[in-house]
Amino acid sequence: MPDALFYVLVVVLVVLGLASFALAMERHWRQLRPGSPIARPTTLVLRAIGATALAASLALCLWLDHGTIASLVWVMALVPAALAVTFTFSWRPQWFAPLLWWTGTRP
Amino acid sequence: MFATFRLSMTWLHTWFGLVLGYVLVVVFFFGSLSVFDREIDRWALPETRFEAQPMPSFDEVLAPVFRELEPHPDDMAATARRVIGPLPDPGTLELASLYAYTTHRDPVLLVGGEFGIPNKPKDASDEHQHVHGWATIDPRTGTPLPVDRLKIGSDFFYPMHYSLHLHAWNDVGYWIVGFAALVMLAALVSGVVVHRKLFRELFTFRPRKQPQRRLLDLHNLTGVVALPFHFFFALTGLIIFAAIYLPVSDKLLKPLHDAHERLESTQTGLPLEPAGQPAAMASVDAMVAEAQRRWAERGMAGEVGLLFADHLGDTNGYVSIYRAGTDRVSLTGEGIHFRASTGEVIRVEPPAGVVAGINDFLTGLHLQHFRHWLLRWLYFLGGMAGCVCIATGFLFFVEKRKQQHAREGRSGARWVDALAVAAVTGTLIATAAILVANRLLPEDLPARGTWEERVFWLAWLGALLHAAWRSAPVLQARRSAAWAEQCLAVSVLAVVAVLLNWITTGDHLWHTLTTGYWPVAGVDLTLLAAAAIAAMTARRLWSTTPTWEPAHA
Repeated sequence: MPDALFYVLVVVLVVLGLASFALAMERHWRQLRPGSPIARPTTLVLRAIGATALAASLALCLWLDHGTIASLVWVMALVPAALAVTFTFSWRPQWFAPLLWWTGTRP
Repeated sequence: MFATFRLSMTWLHTWFGLVLGYVLVVVFFFGSLSVFDREIDRWALPETRFEAQPMPSFDEVLAPVFRELEPHPDDMAATARRVIGPLPDPGTLELASLYAYTTHRDPVLLVGGEFGIPNKPKDASDEHQHVHGWATIDPRTGTPLPVDRLKIGSDFFYPMHYSLHLHAWNDVGYWIVGFAALVMLAALVSGVVVHRKLFRELFTFRPRKQPQRRLLDLHNLTGVVALPFHFFFALTGLIIFAAIYLPVSDKLLKPLHDAHERLESTQTGLPLEPAGQPAAMASVDAMVAEAQRRWAERGMAGEVGLLFADHLGDTNGYVSIYRAGTDRVSLTGEGIHFRASTGEVIRVEPPAGVVAGINDFLTGLHLQHFRHWLLRWLYFLGGMAGCVCIATGFLFFVEKRKQQHAREGRSGARWVDALAVAAVTGTLIATAAILVANRLLPEDLPARGTWEERVFWLAWLGALLHAAWRSAPVLQARRSAAWAEQCLAVSVLAVVAVLLNWITTGDHLWHTLTTGYWPVAGVDLTLLAAAAIAAMTARRLWSTTPTWEPAHA
C-alpha cells in the first residue's frame, strides 16, 4: 500500500475520532437523536471510540515518519478534520448516523 | 477599569486584535504562501522549471563560479555609504569567504560570499569589513540567472511575511511583525478567556443564524481548531528573531560576546582570523564525500544543504559542510568542519543538548526544511484558517457596531470595514497582480523584478482606495460594495494569471499535470481554486441582500 493511502487512513481516523467526541456532546447527539437525551454509558462509549481512533491515528503517524514530523502531522491533521466534522454537523449531520448504529434503531 | 477579568480580556482582544489584525492577516497570508515559496519561484521563473538538483561538485562546477563572482552592485552602494573613501573596483576585490545553499526543493543554487575591502568604516565600532556578492546559478552548468529576475516566492512573498518589506528606520517591519506576533499570543489567550464555551461549542457553526452569530462561530472555529498551530507559529516566529528583538549577546554584552567567540574558537579549532600565510585549497569534493560517509554512519544519510568556507587561500582556511534537513523537523546541519588546505577533519559538531535541541525543533517547526508534502499542505491550511479567523474578526467588529455607528452618525465601522477589504481582498488582488505582471512584462525590460514589485504595491494601493471609496454604505449600516467587487477582481486576475502562464510558457495545466510537474501545476490549481471561491463569494454577496436592514428611526 503506498504511503498516500496510509495518510488518507490517518485523516479518516482523526475525523472518526473527532466525530465520536462530538456525538458524545448533548448538542450534537440531539442533531441525530432529537427525542432522546444521551445516556451516560453511551457518552462514555463514544468517548472511548474517539480516544481509540485518535490514538490509532497518532500511532500510524509515528509508524510512518520520524517522531518529530509525525507529531506535527497528527496535530495539523486535526485542523481539516475538525473543520470537516463541524461543517458536516452544520449541513449534513445525518452523514454521521452510521457511527451510532450500535445505539439501536433511530427513533 | 473593568468590572470583571473577562471584560478586560474582551477589551484587549477587540482592540489589539483589530489594530494588529491588519498586520497579522498579511503575515498569515504571506506565511502560508511561503510554505510553497520555491514552487512560486518556479512559476515566476520559467527558465528554472526543471527537477530539484543536489549540491553540485565544488571542484568542477562551483570553483569556477566563485572565481567569476563579483560584489553585488546593491551591496557596493550600501557599503560605500558606510566606509571612508571610495571603494576599489569590484573586479579587483578578493573573495574572503563563500557559501552555497540549496534545499531538496531547489533546482537552482544560491551562491555568495564576502569580499575584503581596504576602507576604514565611518563608525569605529563597525567591524564589518566586507562587501557581499551573490548569485543564483543553474547547478548543472554553473550559468548564473540574470540579476534583475525576481524570485517572487522566496525573495518577495517570504520576506513580506517577516519584514513587510519595510526597511526604513532600522528595519521597522521586523519590529511591527514581532509586536504583532506578541499580540497574537495575547489575542489567543484572551480569546480563550472571552470564548467561555471553548469545548461546548468546539464543533459548532450555525450557518442559518444571524450574521453576527455566524461570523463569531466561524471566528471561534478557525481560531480554536488551529489553536496549537496559531500559538506555536507566533511563538516560534518570535524565537527565530529573538536575537533581533533582544540583541543581548552581540549588542548589550558585546565584550562578553567577543570573549566567548575567542574561547569558542580555541575549543572548536575553527580559526577566527586568517593567519596571513597563503595556502591552496584541497579537494572540497573529497571533504563532501567524507562528510556524507560520516552522516551515513550515524544513520542520517543525506545531501549537502549548506557549504561554507572561510579565510579563503589562507592556512587558517576551513570548510564547513552541513546536511540538508529533510527527514526530521529539527533544523540542525550535523556540521562537519575541514581544514581547507589539507582536507583533514577539524571538528564534528556534537549532537545538540536539551536546550539547543528544543530550540532546533521549534525553529525547524517554523522554517520547515523537511521533505513532507502533506505536512506542507496542512501548514498552508493552518495559515488559511488563521486568515479566516482574523478576517471574520474584522467583520464581526463591523457587524456588531455598524447599526449603532449609523444611528450616531459615526464613521468608525466604515473605516474598519474599508481597511479590512484592503487587508483581505486587497492582499489577494496585489498577489494575483504581481503574478500577472510577471507574465506580461517584456522579458528584456531592465530591472524587471523591480517593476513586478511596483505593480504589487500599486495594485494594493488601488485596492485600498477602491475600498475607501466604495465603503460609504457602511455609514448607513449597509454592506460595502467593495467586498463583492474586489472578490470579482481576484477571481478575474487569478484566472488571467493561469491563462498567461499557459500562453507565455506553454505549460498549461494538462501538460504539468500529466507530466507530474507539481510546482507549476500546484500554483495554477491553487489560483483556480482561489478564483472559484472568490467568484462564488462575489455571486453570493450580490444575490443576497443583507438579512437584516438597519432599523430606521
